[in-house]
Amino acid sequence: MDFTFTEEQQMMAGAFRELLDDLCSPEALRAAAEKRGDESGARWARIAELGLPGVLAPEAAGGMGLGDTDFVLIAEEAGRAALPEPLVEQAGIAVPLLAGLAPHAPRAAEILAQAASGALRVAVGAPGNPFVLGAAQAGVLLLADGDEVHLVERAGVGLVAQPSIDTLRALARVEWQPSAATRLVSGAAGRTAWARAFERGALYAAAQCLGLTQRMIDIAVAYACERTQFGRPIGSYQAIKHHLATVQVKLEFARAHVYAAAARVVDADQRAAAAVSSAKLAAGDAAELAARTGIQVHGAMGYSWEVDLHFYMKRAWALIGSWGDRSFHMRRVQSLVLGGSLPLGSDQTFVRS
Amino acid sequence: MRLDFSPQEETFRREAATWLEGQLSGPFADLRTGRAHDISAPERRKEWERALGRARWSAIGWPEEYGGRNATLAEQVIFAEEYARARAPGRLGHLGIELCGPTILALGTEAQKRRFLPKMSAGEEYWCQGYSEPNAGSDLSNVRTRARLEKGPNGPEWVIEGQKTWTSLAQFADWCFLVTRTEEGSTGARGLSYLLVPMHQKGVTIRPIRQMTGEAEFNETFFDGARTAAENVVGAPGEGWKVAMATLSFERGASTLAQQMGFRNQLDAIIGAAKDNGAARDPLIRQRLAEAYAGLKIMRASSLRMLTSAQSGKLSPEAFTYKIFWATWHRKLGELAMDVLGPAGELGTAAPYELQELTKMFLFSRADTIYAGTNQVQRNIIAERALGLPKEPRGGA
Repeated sequence: MDFTFTEEQQMMAGAFRELLDDLCSPEALRAAAEKRGDESGARWARIAELGLPGVLAPEAAGGMGLGDTDFVLIAEEAGRAALPEPLVEQAGIAVPLLAGLAPHAPRAAEILAQAASGALRVAVGAPGNPFVLGAAQAGVLLLADGDEVHLVERAGVGLVAQPSIDTLRALARVEWQPSAATRLVSGAAGRTAWARAFERGALYAAAQCLGLTQRMIDIAVAYACERTQFGRPIGSYQAIKHHLATVQVKLEFARAHVYAAAARVVDADQRAAAAVSSAKLAAGDAAELAARTGIQVHGAMGYSWEVDLHFYMKRAWALIGSWGDRSFHMRRVQSLVLGGSLPLGSDQTFVRS
Repeated sequence: MRLDFSPQEETFRREAATWLEGQLSGPFADLRTGRAHDISAPERRKEWERALGRARWSAIGWPEEYGGRNATLAEQVIFAEEYARARAPGRLGHLGIELCGPTILALGTEAQKRRFLPKMSAGEEYWCQGYSEPNAGSDLSNVRTRARLEKGPNGPEWVIEGQKTWTSLAQFADWCFLVTRTEEGSTGARGLSYLLVPMHQKGVTIRPIRQMTGEAEFNETFFDGARTAAENVVGAPGEGWKVAMATLSFERGASTLAQQMGFRNQLDAIIGAAKDNGAARDPLIRQRLAEAYAGLKIMRASSLRMLTSAQSGKLSPEAFTYKIFWATWHRKLGELAMDVLGPAGELGTAAPYELQELTKMFLFSRADTIYAGTNQVQRNIIAERALGLPKEPRGGA
């Protein structure tokens, strides 16, 4: 057992962080929020250059052939930067979905390399959710019709832009007709594929919440050191510093949860589902507390548009409701724990059997 | 102790409800939103204020000579309830009617009362509050805006220099009640004065502050040689801190009941949404909805207790605890709304930034634990003033 990240994993995440510090400055986020300029394509190209869309794609398809414990740190960094482009959804959900289907579906195999290189942008619609992130910017969309997985050209669907509370998230309602030509798989194979995609969606939403939480803490800490009231920096008052310390505690415990879920998600079993759900709950709760505390520490400034904090808060609030909201994941943990099929007990708690 | 209302009070309730219904299903039907924070259609909102004033429903607790009805506390409670029940709009005049007006009534001169109160209650003049500054937020007495007396064409005038911030509704205001330093070299709460300053003059500039809801209810207000007549000071010059604190104590008036009714409308909307989308079947959501309801009942009982004991003229310990309770409760209500909406909570209604009512309420509720004293300041007040604990060590400013 080794619950640490390798030097390579940390280096890759570190390189991505440096790139994001450059690409996602607050000014860049403001420009993206106001839809000024066309930086999105340029930003995507820089990310693709690092090979990140293909982290989870097999090497034969030009990917890195790495696993979820490699990508979880990438997703965390994307959250920390409030990256406007849906890299996490493409690399963390769509690419492994295509890679899993490639042996059975020639069309999936055909586009896998392009998706892994980032040359083709692939949007993925969560089953049951009519709103798809990045649909307008994508070349193709992966959509669910019941258990079936469909691959449709963007040009072949109707899109109605749907504003989000987070102006950096480009959501659209997709109107489309499933057909035999668009179907990749159906039946049990489709069900399994969507189940796995859903787990990764929830896992990587949780990972992004970790990064968002840390960013919100960092912004609040910087402000608490700088802002003076009653003749001292407000961060010197326990009322402020205890609040921030509490969020950091919550974050560190959520981190451990999310990393454990990243190690388990590949198993696609009940234990993985329980790990993903509790990770999503823990990370979402940490992000919510960070948002609440971040505003509170900023006072009225925290409520203004001109302070950057709101970009990260709004992303967190959007992610908390995505890929299973709080109620969904809480219910799932309850039913797994009480349902009798999840292995419980002291011999099952810490070590994999 | 008596919790019900007398037959006369119920008659008063019917009179108020009938008038409100007539107006809001008739000439003012377009304003029947029930929204507390709404800066749309200001001209229509001013017409509404004037209609309230003409019918003497604008400031019912004030003496008749200033446009009020000499209403009892019970009547004020009843009117506040009926106002919210009728889903009447937030009051554009509330900063004057609820904060500055009561201050002038309590501490102003006869001339000030006659000059300012009738126009306030008639909806002819609107007010904003000049307290916070960039470096005077929680540390409110650290005011840097200053005023000095100079000779003017019609007698001595205060000449004001400085900056205020978070001035709600300044864009609609004719006057500002302003806390400013009038004794050179003074620090802290000493040497401040409470001035009444006209907004429509060359020396006053307003810059809107956009909030994270996308709207701009707040402003930065700059005073650059702005002037007001020497007699427009409430209380003695240099005694402004006491006057400013008196104003804040009026924030806990009968309007808290109206606020609770507004909360009740929001809770009903959340319950409706939960029934519609199935969230109401979730035991966790059900529990939180029930807790929210219980919190509202607690608030109502507490504020009735607080208001009746305030009639005895003494601010009791429970009054210190009210702000933190409602603010924290309402912030949680916002989170509950988002959890009930689930993934749909993220969705706006139109570009660029139109939000659905409950999502907007969630965003607004994030400010509740900040304005009018943050939760941290409230806890210090409770600890120091209600419990008598030693004061927090402060820097040597």
